[in-house]
Amino acid sequence: MNIDEKLQILTDSAKYDVSCSSSGSTRTHSFGDIGATHNSGICHAYSGDGRCISLLKILFTNHCIYDCSYCINRSSNDLKRAAFTPREIADLTINFYKRNYIEGLFLSSGIISSEDHTMQLILKSLKILRHEHGFNGYVHVKLIPGASAHLIKEVTRLADRVSSNIELPSEKSLLLLAPEKSKVKLFEPLKIVRNDALERGKKVMGMSTQMIIGASPESDYDILKLSDAFYKKGLLKRVYFSAYIPTVPHKNLPTINTPPPLLREHRLYQADWLMRFYGFNWDEIATQNDPFLDERFDPKLSWALRNLQHFPIEVNKADKEMLLRIPGLGIRSVGKILRARRQKRLSTVDLQSMKISLKRARYFITVDGRPVEQTALRYERIESTMLALEKPKAGTQPSLFDLVQSNRGEI
Amino acid sequence: MHWLYDGSFEGFLTALHRSYTHKCIPEELSSDNSTLTLLSESQTIETHLEIAQKVSKRMAEHFPKKILERIFHVFLCDDVPRERELLLYIRMGFKDISLLYQLSHETVYTIEAYQKRMFSTIHKMLAFTRFEMLEDGMLFAKISPPRNVLPLIGKHFVKRFNSERFIIHDIQRGFIVVWDGKALQTHPVLDASVPVLHEDEKAYQSLWKTFFNTVAIESRSNAKLQQNYVPLLYRELMTEFQ
Repeated sequence: MNIDEKLQILTDSAKYDVSCSSSGSTRTHSFGDIGATHNSGICHAYSGDGRCISLLKILFTNHCIYDCSYCINRSSNDLKRAAFTPREIADLTINFYKRNYIEGLFLSSGIISSEDHTMQLILKSLKILRHEHGFNGYVHVKLIPGASAHLIKEVTRLADRVSSNIELPSEKSLLLLAPEKSKVKLFEPLKIVRNDALERGKKVMGMSTQMIIGASPESDYDILKLSDAFYKKGLLKRVYFSAYIPTVPHKNLPTINTPPPLLREHRLYQADWLMRFYGFNWDEIATQNDPFLDERFDPKLSWALRNLQHFPIEVNKADKEMLLRIPGLGIRSVGKILRARRQKRLSTVDLQSMKISLKRARYFITVDGRPVEQTALRYERIESTMLALEKPKAGTQPSLFDLVQSNRGEI
Repeated sequence: MHWLYDGSFEGFLTALHRSYTHKCIPEELSSDNSTLTLLSESQTIETHLEIAQKVSKRMAEHFPKKILERIFHVFLCDDVPRERELLLYIRMGFKDISLLYQLSHETVYTIEAYQKRMFSTIHKMLAFTRFEMLEDGMLFAKISPPRNVLPLIGKHFVKRFNSERFIIHDIQRGFIVVWDGKALQTHPVLDASVPVLHEDEKAYQSLWKTFFNTVAIESRSNAKLQQNYVPLLYRELMTEFQ
C-alpha cells in the first residue's frame, strides 16, 4: 500500500476527533532545531466543514482489537485497514511542517496486538521526530488506556500535550456501548501523567479529553457536572464535546438517520466557556429541575432570563464579574469598557463609538443611570423580545457558521 | 493642500516634521496622486533622511514601545489612506500622551481599528504562507497580502526555520525577505528567474491535498464558514486550493 493511500485511510479514521488545538505551549526555538510553538496556537488551514486544521491529525493505525459500538474503527466493522511505520509518521510531520502546512502532530491510534505494543510504536515515532529530525514544534499524543506506566511517562516527556478520551459521560453507558473499557481504565493514563509530574516537582501538563454527545442518554446537567469535577481536580484543562454522528446501526445507539446534535454541542461549548472564562458555576448554567440547556438561547442569556433580579446593570459602576454576565457583552467588550471608563464616564454614544454591540445588551443595562431601552424586564416580554432578535432559520439546525463567535470564546 | 510624499516611512516622518515647521495640517497626505482633482492644490514633500532620523529619535524617546509599534503597524496598512490620521495621532501624542488612551476619541479609535486589521492580516499570513522546497533545499514562499506585512513576519519564520534557509516574496509589492541561516534581510526583487523545485516537492504537495480533503467531515460540510476563515483572496497561493 502506498503512503498516499495510508494517509487517506488513517486521516479518515482520525477525523472525528475534535481537538486540534496547538495553543498553550511556549516551547521556544533553539538553534539547530527546527520548529517552535506559538502560545496562542495557529490554525494553518480550514477544511471544507469549516474546522481548523492546526495539526497533522492521524491515527498510527486503524486496526483495533476493541469493539466499541459507537466507533468507526471497531473490530467488527468491515473497513479498509492500514498502519504507518514510525519513520513514515516522522517524515510526513517534518515535511509538512517545513512547508508551513501545520503546527505539529496529533497522533492517536487503534490498538494493534496489544496496548503496550501500540504505545511503543508511538514512542518510536516521537523519538525519530524529536531526536533524529530535531523537531521542536507541537506534539499531542492520545495515550492508550491500559499501556504500562513507564511507556506513558516516556511518551509524555516527548509531547507538548497528552490526552485520553473518556468517550461517554457515565460508567453505565460505557458498559453498554464499550464493554472493554471502564471509567477507571480510561482515567488511568491521566492519573499516571499527573502523579509523575507531581513526583518530579514539575508543573502538570494541560490535558484534555473528549466526550461523545448524544450517543447515550446523559443530560447536559450530568455532563457539565462531570466537566467541572475534572477542572476542579486539576486533572484536565479542556473538555471537548463531539456530537455523535451515527455511522453504524446498533440497538443501543441512535438510528442511522438521526442528525448529529450540533446545536446541543454548540450550547455545551458555550456553557463550558462560561465556566472557564466568565466565572459561572456549572450549577448556575443547568439545574437538576431543568437538566437540558435551552436550545433557543445561549446559556448566558438563559441565565439572565432566569435571574432578572440582577438587572439592569450600570456599565459605569458594575465590577468586571457582573459586566461579564450581561448578555451580548463578550470578554473583549468588557475589557474595552473597563479601560475606557477609567478616563471618563461613558455614555451610550461612547459605547457605540467603541463599536460595542448593544443589540442584546441594551435590554439589560443602564448607562449613566438611564436605561437604553425602555422595556420592563418582565420575563414574558423580554423572552419574546430576545426570540425576535435571534435570526430565524426556520426548521434548520444553526449552521456551524454560528459557531464563529463561540470559537473566539465570546458569547 | 494635498501633500505628496514618496511612500516610504522616512518620507512620512519628513512630512510630519514639516507639519510642525510650517504650522499646518495637510488636507490630505498620500503617495498616490490619482485622487487629486483639477482644482486641488498639491505640494511634493522631498524625503530627508536626516530629518527622518531626528524625528524617529524624538519619537523613540517620547512614546512607549507599544505605541511605536502601533504607529509602524498602521503605517504599513497600505490599503487605506491612513497617513493623515496617523499624523494627527502622533501630533496628539506629542502634545499629551494620555490623549492616546481615550478609546472613544475618533482618531484613537480609527488608528487602533487599523492596527487590529493589521494584526489579523499578520496572523493570517503566519498561518497561510505556504513554502515550496527548491532543488537546493531552500524554502520559498510567494505571498500577496492585502496589507504590507512582509517586514513584520520574517522573524516568526526565523524562529521556526533557523536551521533552514528561506525566502518570502511579496509578489504584489515586489519585495522579498531572505534568511540565509545567519541574517534576515529585506530588499526589492532583482532576480526574476523561475526557481526549480525539489524532486520530492510535488509528492508532498499531493499528500497535503490528500490530508486536507480527507479530514473534512462531509455531513458537516460548511463552505460559508470555511470562506469566513480563509477569504478567497488568500487562496490563490495556498497549496490546498490549487
